[in-house]
Amino acid sequence: MSILDPTDIQGFTLRGYTFPVARFLFLKISDTKKGREFVTELVSKLTTGEKWDKTHRPRTTVNVAFTYPGLVALGLPQASLQSFPVEFVQGMKARGAILCDVEKNAPQHWDRVWQEGPVHIWLGVYAESAEELEQKCAELKALAERSGGLVVAGMQDAAALIIDGQRSTKEHFGYTDGFGNPDYSGVDRDSQNGQGKLSPDGRTWLKLATGELLLGYADEAGELPPAPVPHLLANNGTFMVYRKLHQNVATFRAYIKEKAKLYPGGEKMLKAKFVGRFPDGTPLELSPDREDPAIVKDKSRNVDFTYGADPDGVRCPFSAHIRRANPRDAFGFHGQLINRRRITRRGLTYGPYTSECEPGDDSAEHGVIFMALNASIFRQFEFVQQQWIEYGNDARQGNDRDALLGRHDGKGKFVIPGTDDAGNPPFICGGLPSFVQLRGGDYFFIPSITALKMIGLGAVDPR
Amino acid sequence: MPNKNGSVYGLTILSPITRSVHGSESHSLAIRQCLAKMPRDSESPFAKVSSTHMARLVVMDDVVFFGAPSHEEHLRSKYLIFESNFDGDLDEYLKRLANEARQEVHEVWRHCEGYPGLDDKEAFVRYMKKCQVETTFFFADVNDKTVEQTLQALQAQSAVAAFIEKNQGKPPEELQKAFQRFIESLQNARPQPPGSVKGKELADE
Repeated sequence: MSILDPTDIQGFTLRGYTFPVARFLFLKISDTKKGREFVTELVSKLTTGEKWDKTHRPRTTVNVAFTYPGLVALGLPQASLQSFPVEFVQGMKARGAILCDVEKNAPQHWDRVWQEGPVHIWLGVYAESAEELEQKCAELKALAERSGGLVVAGMQDAAALIIDGQRSTKEHFGYTDGFGNPDYSGVDRDSQNGQGKLSPDGRTWLKLATGELLLGYADEAGELPPAPVPHLLANNGTFMVYRKLHQNVATFRAYIKEKAKLYPGGEKMLKAKFVGRFPDGTPLELSPDREDPAIVKDKSRNVDFTYGADPDGVRCPFSAHIRRANPRDAFGFHGQLINRRRITRRGLTYGPYTSECEPGDDSAEHGVIFMALNASIFRQFEFVQQQWIEYGNDARQGNDRDALLGRHDGKGKFVIPGTDDAGNPPFICGGLPSFVQLRGGDYFFIPSITALKMIGLGAVDPR
Repeated sequence: MPNKNGSVYGLTILSPITRSVHGSESHSLAIRQCLAKMPRDSESPFAKVSSTHMARLVVMDDVVFFGAPSHEEHLRSKYLIFESNFDGDLDEYLKRLANEARQEVHEVWRHCEGYPGLDDKEAFVRYMKKCQVETTFFFADVNDKTVEQTLQALQAQSAVAAFIEKNQGKPPEELQKAFQRFIESLQNARPQPPGSVKGKELADE
């Protein structure tokens, strides 16, 4: 096992921050030299992967990532630029056909900042309070603008939803979100059973190879993931997929209400079948009939389950979102077919929550900022998106897409396998509309602290 | 039997491609051009020869030398690789190829050494079998069903899903009537043509 140096890895790469508010700033560089100076000054402000204890928890965090055009604008040597993986070089827009980012999800429907030429820099700022967030962002904006070579072209606020005056971990459709991310070898974090990969005994869990998250380390195939040269530029870095996912809350609520009229399990059960977890987070595999707060609270149980005992999907449907996106052992071979397709999620909601008592609104500005980290966007995120979200063959669902996240045109269906039990009969949800629409995003590289210093100095040397 | 799995035959044929001499056309390039232009889906020659589950045609130039310490070896000629999974008997399948995909077969194999043409069907079958190598192991996704049965099953599956979606929750008498009508329409449904990508949904009940 490699010993990681958390002082050299950006904090955002190693841990999901649990701050209530965040803002993502999108910068453009107009002058290489000034851009480099900005990067150099920024490094000292960044949050690294060092572990916090209760007395040394920061009030704000800052992290940085670059698109390929951003690295070009910073004047990286051609030999380094040409060594980046092709999907990162192309950027997310150009990968639209693979990702199914077409029609309502196509770039002409994205936010303005993604339409007006490429974003160069992503600055991720998280804070304990709105005031501290404002202050930190003002400081960073001043730093960028003072340089004279950068502009803040756009920004995106995000925040944990406030429901009934309480900070919540739910998203706009009412599901509790953010359970479990993969554990990686060498990453110091409170690990939970169910978060890594299944061991050959099919019951216990092991940590995934470091190289599934970080460049410069062996991955699950015992290989180094494709990475740019020199190794100092790549090591301890990772790639980030940033996607702003708008949620059609009214469409979702109306659809569930309509179908629940016929579905004997009722509205809550139907919602649970869509995701594989009840709205409170109880996994269907562990409690197929009802929400169980004891399981949700128990970290030793809430992500520790497999699908092997549910081969017909009568507890958790094959097409349920969590069974698609992280199939665990669903394809047999003790889960070994999925160990190279795992992603680390860093999502946060944006926009105000609409009470469950109201029908909701499709056009209001609300959704999820989905951010995924992986060593290979091509092998990990793009595979999951293309094969498991927008297609159903591996889940044995033919052409069916993920009911919740897939791109639908009013014709798709979602199959709920059932039993003889009157409360859990087979049911088919047809005429699926799109519940989620893409509003922008791109592919980013999150360099190590060392790499950032080299970039700032203009000292990246690919020879 | 290594060339068969259930009722499906896994055929492998390696036909040596005619060596190109100075100034003449490149036969391997001619095959590649022909393959690049070959019609797909329902217009594919393998849709015409309807007992084909899956087929692939590839030009193999040589075996790859990865560098020391591996032993450097080369093929004596370029080869056309033909892989096909099909229903039924080999002789019959090869005859169907010669009859029903005549033009495409001739366009491709006329660049191969020893190809006798298609006028004498028996000679063509003998030639293909002479080029055959044992498959030993192949990806057999459907083992005991013919192409026709598979397409019918897909059609039925998609129709059943549509039927359930439309009728779930109806009272038993109404449901039974609808189901009888559905079964009738399913039995009378026209089979899907081979090579059609998506299952067509049955019109109304």
